[in-house]
Amino acid sequence: MIFGEQKPLEEVEEMIKDCKKILIAGCNTCVAICFAGGEKEVGILASALRMRAKMANREQEVIEQTVQRQCEWEFVDELKENVEKVEVVVSLACGAGVQAVAERFPRAFIFPGLNTTGIAITEEAGVWAERCLACGNCILDKTGGICPITRCSKGLLNGPCGGSQNGKCEISPDVPCAWQLIYDRLKVLGKLDLLDGIKPPKDWSTSQSGGPRKVVREDLKSSS
Amino acid sequence: MNAQREFFEPEIVAFCCHYCAYAAADMAGSMRLSYPTNVKIIKIPCSGKTDVLYLLKAFEAGADGVFVAG
Repeated sequence: MIFGEQKPLEEVEEMIKDCKKILIAGCNTCVAICFAGGEKEVGILASALRMRAKMANREQEVIEQTVQRQCEWEFVDELKENVEKVEVVVSLACGAGVQAVAERFPRAFIFPGLNTTGIAITEEAGVWAERCLACGNCILDKTGGICPITRCSKGLLNGPCGGSQNGKCEISPDVPCAWQLIYDRLKVLGKLDLLDGIKPPKDWSTSQSGGPRKVVREDLKSSS
Repeated sequence: MNAQREFFEPEIVAFCCHYCAYAAADMAGSMRLSYPTNVKIIKIPCSGKTDVLYLLKAFEAGADGVFVAG
């Protein structure tokens, strides 16, 4: 899922301080799972902003609405009525959601309430960890299901580097060395031969380095 | 609620567990024991039902203090 963190309250407050009526728009999919931008977080942020406004003697109305997904038009359209009522929308969706709302409502001001971090798994309750950089050319078949692009701090294709110490990365003792993980796993799987040879440089044109990506499925597109 | 008074009396919202704290308050009532009127009790099925939103809403509505008893 996409994961992220809410921006500090002060930063959100600064964005909206001159507005009279604000909509806090939540997204009940990925960012709800990481407790950053779902219905509950929308309620908490809206409540906090209302209290801040009151304490600062600002005349401000903060309304709330959460849709199932802010990255699909069908759900974004549910925001229409409230978007038209307010001066500004603070979206607690990921960057894609914020932009989808902006695209759908060209005359509305849409501000981000989250910092989108990336694609993660829930390691345990309250812990989300990045697992995929969406490079567009997956190599997990060659690395025992552990992504060195994401999990090696240097993104090395031929690791480990000299900074690997006792299975940890030199950037922090809390960060496991991805190449140690890969080695350990391939050993268990009896596939250490996958590490023979040198992996050639990766084609990064499929990543964001090649420009914004787009997938088009002609078989699924509407004919109109 | 936070009006200027000679003596500041805070308005307190108490979220009380149905099975213990609320029952205790109920018992106090049946024993004709009084407690300050500025404590407003809200019964919840369990103190585990407490949610940060409940606390915020109480403050937003003007409470000076909120406590959870359970």
